[in-house]
Amino acid sequence: MDNNLAGDSPPPRPKWRKVAYGGMQIGYDDNYTDETFLEEMVMNANVVRRDLLKVMKDSVSISQYLCIVALVVLVWFHTLESSLDENSLLLLDLSLLALGFLALLLTEEKMLSLRLLLRYVTNITFFTTGLYVLAPVYQTLTRSISSDSIWAVTVSLLLLHLFLHDYSGSTIGAPGALKSPSLTSCISVNASVVASVFVASRLPSRGHVFAVMLFSLQVFLFAPLVAYCIKKFSFGLHLGFSFALMGLTLYSVYALHRLFFVLFLVLVVVVNVVCPYWLIRMQEYKFEINGPWDEAKLCFDITD
Amino acid sequence: MAEPKLRVLMVSDFFFPNFGGVENHIYYLSQCLLNLGHKVVVMTHAYGNRTGVRYMTGGLKVYYVPWRPFAMQNTFPTVYGTLPIVRTILKRERITVVHGHQAFSTLCHEALMHARTMGYRVVFTDHSLYGFADVGSIHMNKVLQFTLADIDQAICVSHTSKENTVLRSGLAPGKVFMIPNAVDTAMFKPADVRPSSDDVITIVVISRLVYRKGADLLVEVIPEVCRLYPNVRFVVGGDGPKHVRLEEMREKHSLQDRVEMLGAVPHSRVRSVLVTGHIFLNSSLTEAFCIAILEAASCGLLTVSTRVGGVLPDDMVVLAEPDPDDMVRAIEKAISILPSINPEEMHNRMKKLYSWQDVAKRTEIVYDRALKCSNRNLLERLSRFLSCGAWAGKVFCMVMIIDYLLWRLLQFLQPDDDVEEAPDINFCN
Repeated sequence: MDNNLAGDSPPPRPKWRKVAYGGMQIGYDDNYTDETFLEEMVMNANVVRRDLLKVMKDSVSISQYLCIVALVVLVWFHTLESSLDENSLLLLDLSLLALGFLALLLTEEKMLSLRLLLRYVTNITFFTTGLYVLAPVYQTLTRSISSDSIWAVTVSLLLLHLFLHDYSGSTIGAPGALKSPSLTSCISVNASVVASVFVASRLPSRGHVFAVMLFSLQVFLFAPLVAYCIKKFSFGLHLGFSFALMGLTLYSVYALHRLFFVLFLVLVVVVNVVCPYWLIRMQEYKFEINGPWDEAKLCFDITD
Repeated sequence: MAEPKLRVLMVSDFFFPNFGGVENHIYYLSQCLLNLGHKVVVMTHAYGNRTGVRYMTGGLKVYYVPWRPFAMQNTFPTVYGTLPIVRTILKRERITVVHGHQAFSTLCHEALMHARTMGYRVVFTDHSLYGFADVGSIHMNKVLQFTLADIDQAICVSHTSKENTVLRSGLAPGKVFMIPNAVDTAMFKPADVRPSSDDVITIVVISRLVYRKGADLLVEVIPEVCRLYPNVRFVVGGDGPKHVRLEEMREKHSLQDRVEMLGAVPHSRVRSVLVTGHIFLNSSLTEAFCIAILEAASCGLLTVSTRVGGVLPDDMVVLAEPDPDDMVRAIEKAISILPSINPEEMHNRMKKLYSWQDVAKRTEIVYDRALKCSNRNLLERLSRFLSCGAWAGKVFCMVMIIDYLLWRLLQFLQPDDDVEEAPDINFCN
């Protein structure tokens, strides 16, 4: 109707305005679309261009932790096969504890006071004593359950642990950390602890149970913290530490079985090379739209 | 008795006794369409024990379909569950145009789908804005794309909303009409005696106190304005999760005697709250079309608002960025131009700017356009759904084919001629 009007007699029709008030604009239909349509749309405003090398460097954290878990599993395996005895296990525990403590000390900015050291020592004593007292309980905990079920559950729990693990930080807060851990990383830690208990319950003696439990808990609880502190201290050291771990793990796995070695190698390559490349390739499909319809962001913090 | 020009079925999950912008829109639009000589039937889900058919003012027939809402007043999405009743209503009322409202109403989506399967002309009105980033929006946008893939015409309530809908659904902009909401100016008249603004200036806020409505901005703005102007007092109407924060703010700055908190204000009392003030403050962070501003302007209040451009002429509203400093600046400006505001004149201007009769006439044009669209057969329509996405397209096609088969089965079980037609009752005379 309005088209005809504009076509037959060309009155100087008023310019179309992008307003909602005043009823239908003379000479224009309601579906009129002018060149200002979608003018304020912004595409890919907040997209961060990622660098392949940077992503690959960042993914080293993941393969590092994969190696740590693989090493724990290797220790479990050797203990179950009785190729590692109690004493060497305890020695391993002690040296790991000392090394970890040393690493924390060296990377920590603030100096260690005597009081803090005393507190650490008491805590560790309480922890180990408790574990020692409970070792007989752990040993007989799952006696009525078949070994197959235990292995199956252990493997699933470890996978869950790896899936939910917080690779960017550590669940056990560094001294003075404000951030409380997320639910998923708590589930992850718990899954690893339960897996350790299950494995320990298949061991022949109390001494073994104690040593393996202590070892697993040390690694699962504190290895992420140590790795985090090293990474924060120096990225070069972090890379060196990770590659050393990778080498050690690959060597140990090779000694165990060729097939596992190949599988593990493939996993490490996928995590460190294929996935970063894939991520970079997928960047070009990134399509972000912003415009006046977006909810406004408040420019101040809301303190509830 | 004259035969109705058009027979329109309005479908939405949102209708009275529930209250909100969409409900209001459907009611007023239906009333005005009835006055224009059309027949209008509303279909919604059951509210409490209100099921079955009801008649409202002017012979507006409402079907409260016995489906219970399950979340946020929405019926449970069953895809095909509503086909029989939609078909019966369409036949009984001899409907010619089906008009669905609101993108997150499941009943609306289902009814539009069935109506298209049966070859009816459908029109859809989108009342809200959506983002593109979170999982909820992505899902909603896909559903919207499905419904709009085969729509005849669509209506949006503002220019921003039109841009948003076109982006979300991939519809051609020429098929999307911009028809704003309106305000019933007769219900929102200025006070007979305007409160004097010489000694005390009252700023009114009426909104749900939630994040999206910018309640956090109010917490920052109110103390600052009270500090700058000792003669300003605030009246805050509305309730919500952020109520506590406002109460805290009031206590922290000892403003108990200058900030009045009314709690939830029923819509029937909104006018009586509005007319006690001089300035209306809207702090929404996002808004497809802000009716509250229209109601305030109709009551003769000067409005200070966050960016909802194009709703009011520039001399009736002071716009601000959603940032406390800028809003305080806008309020300062509003206070300075307050003496030049004449509420009666503002009300009369609003009468000319917005009316539901105008909205109904413009919607009528959209209906005419929809009726002129050529009707396509199933195969042609399926090709449109196929283009909606690699996987989604195939799923949409399956959904439509099954719907078609179910419709044929229903026709076999109960032929169209067996559905009893409802007589048209003219209530106007």
